[in-house]
Amino acid sequence: MAVNARSRIINTLIVLAVVFIAWELASLTLSIPYYILPSPSSIVLATTRYPQYLLINLLDTLTHSLIGLSIAAAFSLLLSIPLAYSEGIRDAVYPLITGFNAIPRAALVPLLALWFGLGSVPKVLTAFLIAFFPILVPTLTAMVTLEKELWELLQSFGATKSQILLKVALPRAMPYFLSSLHMGLTSAFVGTVIAEMVASDKGLGYVILSSTSRLDTPLAFSCLILLALITLIISKMLGIIERRIVKWAYRVNA
Amino acid sequence: MITVKSILRLRNVTVRYGNGRHGGLVAISKVSLDIMPGQVVGIVGKSGCGKTTLLKVIAGLIKPVEGEVIFNGDEFDGSHRRVGMLFQSPLLLPWRTVLRNILLPIEIAGEDVNKYVGRALELVERVGLKGFENSYPWELSGGMQQRVALCRALIHKPLLLLLDEPFSALDAITREDMWKLLQEIIVHEGCTTILVTHDVREAVFLSDRVVVMGGKPGTIKAEVNIPFNRPRDIRLQYSKEFNEYVSTIKELISG
Repeated sequence: MAVNARSRIINTLIVLAVVFIAWELASLTLSIPYYILPSPSSIVLATTRYPQYLLINLLDTLTHSLIGLSIAAAFSLLLSIPLAYSEGIRDAVYPLITGFNAIPRAALVPLLALWFGLGSVPKVLTAFLIAFFPILVPTLTAMVTLEKELWELLQSFGATKSQILLKVALPRAMPYFLSSLHMGLTSAFVGTVIAEMVASDKGLGYVILSSTSRLDTPLAFSCLILLALITLIISKMLGIIERRIVKWAYRVNA
Repeated sequence: MITVKSILRLRNVTVRYGNGRHGGLVAISKVSLDIMPGQVVGIVGKSGCGKTTLLKVIAGLIKPVEGEVIFNGDEFDGSHRRVGMLFQSPLLLPWRTVLRNILLPIEIAGEDVNKYVGRALELVERVGLKGFENSYPWELSGGMQQRVALCRALIHKPLLLLLDEPFSALDAITREDMWKLLQEIIVHEGCTTILVTHDVREAVFLSDRVVVMGGKPGTIKAEVNIPFNRPRDIRLQYSKEFNEYVSTIKELISG
């Protein structure tokens, strides 16, 4: 297993190295201007030129994304309880939520900036608005799809609907909730970066916008790579927490 | 004459599924049944004859449109505290340990769980799972999971144990082990038991009385008393008498 995992990582790194070398060679031989498609070496150079600047803006984007994600997670979990409890509430509210989800949330950023000014609030709100739907749907679905037999068994104990919901449906939905956080995480980053591009002077979204306007394309690429890396790292960390909390869902023999 | 008061009495019970205005589907019609305390009653019949419906009525999960269910002298009021159920699937909660699964009915009833830990451990030992109290259901085999489910059904000392095809998902050897175990438990706990099954041999081996259901809508077609003494040895099923009961009941089912 360990050997396998290690060789898998090595294989991935080899593929990555090949891609970057090919890219570097292509930039050199085809002499593509750096402001159209920068070579990997120029991206590395751009990154090392402004490490502190990039780090501060990366942390800014990360913080707002994580706050947005946390609010989305709490909101989805809390909302899924009344929605799962009553079919009436579900029928009334769910179409509104799906309807809202049909609005391209990026289009709301100018409005959010108008209402809340530039800065943190529109970023967190955009991250939240994009992230909550992909968390709510699987959580709610898991809660309302309890097997009929299990439901009857619990009723035979005399369980009330709220007991079934809190003691069975909610813990049963936990693996779905936690795995939906991965989806929510990438959505939250999308939300923050969009808001940074439209209504902020901080964060990697803003750095991408300002660097491309100065034709400093290598710096924009550096931001893209940093965003991908940080998302992957947080996602891995979520995965570790997930496996701890809902160990039972993975049937791991501890 | 001394009459033993029945623990469960069904009078002209009729159940209808679906919309009443258009008639709906009548699942069982005018079923009357008296069950004495401590009796083991097997209910057999073809698929769709309403035997599971009948069990659900007894469990209070379905309200009959007509007729009455009298439980322990009172009209059944929907309080389920005295009923234990076991289904084909163990339906254990995978995030709870064996012990906490067994204590779930107590927790739901809002009683002090600590008072029942002793009883839970005793049941675990009796079904041969000592040492697995803190295991998770997914660490156990199918037969072991079903034993846990049996403990859960028995934790609150039910007057009535309701079994719905409890062993049909198990292999033949495990199933016979479960027959022996169930018989021991029934004798020890003294609870009245209703067993719905497809398996006529299982019904004959475990029951004092086998009720044959059939028709659409389902009605009780016949009843057969099974007079073998308890405890019954597993080899009883190879005896001529046992097999005569089995073939009689099979004929009643298909006839």
